[in-house]
Amino acid sequence: MIIRGDEPEQIGLLKKLYPKGNYFMQGDEAIAYGALFAGCRFYAGYPITPASEIAETMARELPKLKGYYIQMEDEIGSIAAVVGASWTGLKSMTATSGPGFSLMQENLGYAVFTETPLVLVDVQRSGPSTGQATKGAQGDFFQARWGTHGDHPIIAISPTSVEDSFWETIRAFNLSEKFRIPVILLADGIIGHTREQIRIPDPEEVEIIYRKLPANEEEAKYPFGDVHGDLVPPMPLFGNGYFTHVTGSTHKENGLRDVYTPEVHDRLVRRLHKKIEVHEKEIQKWEEYYTDDVEILLVSWGVSARPSLGAVIEARKRGIKAGLIVPKTVHPFPGKRIRELSKKAHVILVPEMNLGQMILEVQRFVRDEVPIISVNKIGGVPLTVEDILKEIESSAERSRHRSAD
Amino acid sequence: MQIRLAGIGGQGVVLAGIILGEAAAIEGLNVIQTQDYGSQSRGGHSIADLIISKEPIYDLMVTKADILVALAQLGYNSTKDSLREDGLLIIDTDLVKPDREYIGAPFTRLAEEKTGLALTVNMVALGYLVAKTNIVKKESVEKAIKRRVPKGTEEINLKAFRIGYEEGLR
Repeated sequence: MIIRGDEPEQIGLLKKLYPKGNYFMQGDEAIAYGALFAGCRFYAGYPITPASEIAETMARELPKLKGYYIQMEDEIGSIAAVVGASWTGLKSMTATSGPGFSLMQENLGYAVFTETPLVLVDVQRSGPSTGQATKGAQGDFFQARWGTHGDHPIIAISPTSVEDSFWETIRAFNLSEKFRIPVILLADGIIGHTREQIRIPDPEEVEIIYRKLPANEEEAKYPFGDVHGDLVPPMPLFGNGYFTHVTGSTHKENGLRDVYTPEVHDRLVRRLHKKIEVHEKEIQKWEEYYTDDVEILLVSWGVSARPSLGAVIEARKRGIKAGLIVPKTVHPFPGKRIRELSKKAHVILVPEMNLGQMILEVQRFVRDEVPIISVNKIGGVPLTVEDILKEIESSAERSRHRSAD
Repeated sequence: MQIRLAGIGGQGVVLAGIILGEAAAIEGLNVIQTQDYGSQSRGGHSIADLIISKEPIYDLMVTKADILVALAQLGYNSTKDSLREDGLLIIDTDLVKPDREYIGAPFTRLAEEKTGLALTVNMVALGYLVAKTNIVKKESVEKAIKRRVPKGTEEINLKAFRIGYEEGLR
């Protein structure tokens, strides 16, 4: 049932069950199908609005692909089961929202420290606490980055449409496998519950990456060692005959606990960080629109990126040189590129469905060189093209006045 | 084109929205469909939104509806302000007392009398909407109905849709 080795059979099943073509589906469903095409064959979860459709789809479809679905007693157990399944070699996922994402933070840290590949989908909803349970939001930008305690790297990806949800889920799995790290998919309740067309490809069109396995007994002795010089240790799987010790306490390259020696902790945590830093180019992804001659730069993500693009196109029609950059990988943040673009810009606008989160990352890279303005909306209703266009126009107005002065 | 369907939970408003959206998708139009409903399984408000266009769509929810279909007073009350002044209001004339110009028919009564099942009111209203506006072709909706309604209920739903369609042609 792990796809590796039985691809011909799995590709046949995928083609038969989900023939290539156009479908009309929700963002949540697109995430589930993306996971299935990426090779995910284990799902453990606890239902919560607005993420439940992911669980429903996986519960229905996974058995057809010889995969496993478990409904757990809660979110803590869900991510624990996913960590365990991943160590048997199954690509594994869970999905949650709001309070459920908070509950998963501890074991997310365990997954980071044990370098366990998995995908954790957070279909962001309006918080804090139970908040507006059925409404979408973008309030978990920093929870994805720093929700679990201690120094740690993380990868978080945010899709911008239903079709994008399919492809970005696949990318989440690939990065997770390649770099042996949990990847958070920061979806949201609006796209999650929006239906639109998506094109399901042939499974052969989908690039799939598998984690590295130890080539021999010797390599398997160092499940947390930089065996290949790329900072990503090969992962000895449970059931393959190796003695492997996996712990959330600080450990040596051979996996054994050593919580007393400062150098051991320093070496491990620094390697985890460096593993992501040196591969940043491969991990980062963003889209740019009309940035060549940009004067008013929009930086937006997830559900807000779409009305932002609509507003930029509308502004261009009115002769305003607006442009947009959309980080798809939000952590690590593509701050260097935004810094470059900021040199041309007179002003930066940051539309997002929160009271100003990603804007702090923009400020960290751009500093005070250009005015940076939040365009916020909370309450569960997405920003509209009109909301954002209004801000672009008043910024254009202000900069005209400034240049006249 | 922005269309909003509003009623109460249990009337099948969201399913009607999905079917209309799927029909538009079948025709190769761009479409975005969202919904909003109360947490009750019956009786709360229920809204389905559709944006249908030949051009790319950048908004995710109806900002100002061109068409509002109201199947219950509660649904009408909570959505009437979102309808454009020159927009088209379609109502169930037995169940909604509007305070502006409208067209419509007693959809629930028609469903009950002609299909024997008041539950098919969503398809009757959908048929009426499609006949009056030609947003999508009748055949596309029929295809979408077959894909989306529970197995075994295709015929009664198609029948209800055609009843509404005929009513709309009058």
